[in-house]
Amino acid sequence: MGGSFVARRLGQAAITIVAIILINFVLFRLMPGSPERVILRGTPNVTPERIEALRERWGLNDPVFPDQLVAYITSTLTGDLGYSFIARGQTVVDVLAQRIWPTILLFGLGEMVAIALGLALGAYSGWRRGGPIDYLGNSVSLILYSTPYFLLGMGFLLVFASSIKWLPTFGMLTAGRVYGSPFEFLADLGAHLVLPLATVSLGLVGQYAIVMRSSIIETLSEDYVNTARAMGLSEGRILRHHALPNALLPTVTLIAINLGYVIAGAITVEVVFNWPGLGTLTVQALTARDYPVLQGVFLLLSVAVVLANLVADLVYGVLDPRVRT
Amino acid sequence: MTATPGPVAGATRGRRSSGAGDFVRRFSRRREGMVGLAILTFFAILAAIPEVLVGPLQTAVTSIGPRLSPPIDGFPLGTDELGRDIVNLTVHGARISMTIGLLATVVTVAIGVLVGIVSGFVGGRIDAVLMRITDFFLVIPTFVLALILTPIIRDVVGSATTEVFGIRMTLIVIVVVIGITSWSSTARIIRSQTLSIKERAFVDRARVVGAGPGYIMRVHILPNVINLIVANAVLVFAGAVLTETTLSFVGLGDPFQPSWGQLLEAARSVGAPGLGAWWYFVPPGLGIILVVFAFTLFGSALDDLLNPRRGGRR
Amino acid sequence: MTAVRDRELPRQAVPGAPLLEVTDLRTYFSLDGATVRAVDGVSFRLEQGEALGIAGESGCGKTTTALSLVRLLPPNARIEEGSVRLYGIDLVEKSPNALRRYRWREISIVFQGAMNALNPVNTVGDQIAEPIIERLGLDRKAALQRAGELLELVGIPRKRADAFPHELSGGMRQRAMIAMALACDPAIVIGDEPTTALDVMVQAQILELLERLRRDLGLSLILITHDLSVIAETCDRVMVMYAGRVAEEGPVGEVFARPKHPYTQKLLAAFPNIHADRRTLEVIPGSPPDLRDPPPGCRFAPRCQFAMDVCRTDVPPEVTFGDGVRVACHLYPQGSDGVPITTPPDANGTPP
Ligand SMILES: Nc1ncnc2c1ncn2[C@@H]1O[C@H](COP(=O)(O)OP(=O)(O)O)[C@@H](O)[C@H]1O
Ligand SMILES: [Mg+2]
Repeated sequence: MGGSFVARRLGQAAITIVAIILINFVLFRLMPGSPERVILRGTPNVTPERIEALRERWGLNDPVFPDQLVAYITSTLTGDLGYSFIARGQTVVDVLAQRIWPTILLFGLGEMVAIALGLALGAYSGWRRGGPIDYLGNSVSLILYSTPYFLLGMGFLLVFASSIKWLPTFGMLTAGRVYGSPFEFLADLGAHLVLPLATVSLGLVGQYAIVMRSSIIETLSEDYVNTARAMGLSEGRILRHHALPNALLPTVTLIAINLGYVIAGAITVEVVFNWPGLGTLTVQALTARDYPVLQGVFLLLSVAVVLANLVADLVYGVLDPRVRT
Repeated sequence: MTATPGPVAGATRGRRSSGAGDFVRRFSRRREGMVGLAILTFFAILAAIPEVLVGPLQTAVTSIGPRLSPPIDGFPLGTDELGRDIVNLTVHGARISMTIGLLATVVTVAIGVLVGIVSGFVGGRIDAVLMRITDFFLVIPTFVLALILTPIIRDVVGSATTEVFGIRMTLIVIVVVIGITSWSSTARIIRSQTLSIKERAFVDRARVVGAGPGYIMRVHILPNVINLIVANAVLVFAGAVLTETTLSFVGLGDPFQPSWGQLLEAARSVGAPGLGAWWYFVPPGLGIILVVFAFTLFGSALDDLLNPRRGGRR
Repeated sequence: MTAVRDRELPRQAVPGAPLLEVTDLRTYFSLDGATVRAVDGVSFRLEQGEALGIAGESGCGKTTTALSLVRLLPPNARIEEGSVRLYGIDLVEKSPNALRRYRWREISIVFQGAMNALNPVNTVGDQIAEPIIERLGLDRKAALQRAGELLELVGIPRKRADAFPHELSGGMRQRAMIAMALACDPAIVIGDEPTTALDVMVQAQILELLERLRRDLGLSLILITHDLSVIAETCDRVMVMYAGRVAEEGPVGEVFARPKHPYTQKLLAAFPNIHADRRTLEVIPGSPPDLRDPPPGCRFAPRCQFAMDVCRTDVPPEVTFGDGVRVACHLYPQGSDGVPITTPPDANGTPP
């Protein structure tokens, strides 16, 4: 993989992030009410001096373009995203920092489970196209794909909260519980994790299976697969050594591109189970019109997706010799 | 995917010149497509004449049932926490969800087609810039953007009570927001089709005759991408319904015009799943799943038949 | 590398049987409920060390015929009838697993588009070595060694074994593909339009390579092409196909000098001088029939200027002449010596 390729991709990612900040700036200026009110709305004891200091720092006394824009970009890049209204004046960065870990835990694990299951199911379905597993898998995938994630969660909740009361359905840890050992803590966390994790994984697995299935089918009709057949290789070897490596490549990219789309649905699962992550934070912020927090969430998730895409592209570059040179 | 071979000498000759009748015949052979169409017809009827079927939309004032009651006589699907009939709410929800979905699809496809055709046809720097923007929207989590945009735009337009197509302004904002955040994949698809049409002879001929770019785009390019637009629009619709549902679920719906998503939000906030009140959220939930499922089936069947990139490949 | 083949014949080989004998092969596709009769009663044989050229317009069933030999057909195809005997063993009867053992070890194929026929994520060396490891059971080191030899044999420096397909030119890729086809020292190599996608200079080089390999290795070759001049230069026999059937088949010299079937005549007329002009075949007026519903008699009848009533109703029998040429045409009744029986009065072309 050439250095220029990496440099180009890094440059693109940087431009994208700046564009995201730009959007945030436009949104920020669109909001009704004076900007400093938006920023300081939740903060107690706002003195005129404080407002003036803030106007100064965010360049609000200067013209919108370029001064305010530059000030906005600079403050964003230095980690100043304003103050949260719902958290009564805590900085947005602090609020996000508290809420990001539960989401990473839930969403990260969910992605891993879904990718593993989805790719396996999709590859098998596509390989045995028209077979019973394909038929079943395809129908289930399509139905899962058509189901909003939170609705799946509500289904789980219905079963587990009202009928089978095996698993906790609320929050991340039992409220007020004192743990005797780290093991107890993990067990409690694990029990709380089961349902949200199952929901997120199930919600994602359908589309990954669909993507992988069509990728495998496409690959199986490629000439080089026909060459492999002509060589008299076994079907298993053709799948493992020729079809799979080639089918995985576009799938990696598609998964990365879809991440932005997927995140949105997945965070709504948090709301159903009161999982204390970015999803519940978003809904709380939305209810209270806490724009700085909303913008912070947007920025954070966008940057995460852009970086994930960057990583996927670089991985692709390592895996695909055609990009490497 | 149908097995349509590449160079079918003779054999294809009859197939290429497909008229409308031929299209209907070929479509009707796709079982999934027909299933999708049947489900959609059912919901389209619900959405078209809800008053005829279940009377006017019940409100907190006009509700007559017991509160959060399981299915009983007179309330075959039970009631919500205000005593409204779930059948009534679900059928009216169909109208609202599907109308918003439809309008949002129109906006999305209009933007996507405009960007795609201009980008593909004009090319050069404009193409490069437009495609950069398109890729940007393809990558970023547009749902989160929609989530911020909706309340901001609502604040900007104020609480106007005007209705468009019987839809309140609050929901029209959602339509617009879905439109401006989800056009990018349409633009990509239309652009690549435009590029290949541009190469064809008749466009050159039109140019030689002195037709302007606007004219060529309208008269030569647009009719040739219309199949693709239709197939894509159906898939966009499925996405739009899902997006609307999710936006409503996080609290951006309109309680005065409850869509299915809004009903789900209400069900969640009174704790229906935890209370075992399945009747509250299963009907609207099934509605969404079925409609999106049906549109996806219908859309991929159409796409297989209408998309030149798919139809021509084995 | 051993140039001389000292292959052990498969166990139940019939002594004295020709290398390959195809009899009344019928391969049909099902397409949207209709049946495409792509190959409909094709017979031919190939002797040890012989090169057979298959010619005909695009869509006449050349590829389908070739792929039927080792059943590499798309899922919607089936062999309806006929036999494919290799050393007298019928491959059509074999189970898929049994058939697999004949692929590449006995019959290998050089496909048309070498860009796509090679796996983009593997090096060419690995791809040539793969059948050697998998089918001949050599270890990786020995297989790579042999892959290097094969590369040199086809005129690629051994060190290019580490290259990926996209790093090679079109001609190089096709050479690598040929090296791959030779990997298991097969009895028959099929080239399905092996030069079509290449430019003229490279085409000539690849054909030269094939001729050299034939000479040096004693290959038996089936060469599919719609370029008659290629067949004239490289092959011993030629089989002209039309709409899924054999129109005429025989020694290259005979067929090219005295074409008997009106279709062959038309084909050759489109090449005033086969050595000077490389025009393609698609210059005959009219188009081939719809193979879902072919004409009941001779399939060429609708385009044939000599067509008689019988041509539209009866399938012409295949007649073999003393010079080894086989023709399926009502102009030549059974037992004739190659002189047509009638000339239709309204025909404005000169009879053969
Ligand atoms: N997968 C397929 N499904 C249906 N018909 C096919 C398929 N592949 C080829 N055919 C038909 O079979 C006939 C022979 O095709 P082919 O063997 O590829 O011809 P050639 O190699 O001579 O160009 C053609 O008319 C083609 O339309
Ligand atoms: Mg062919």
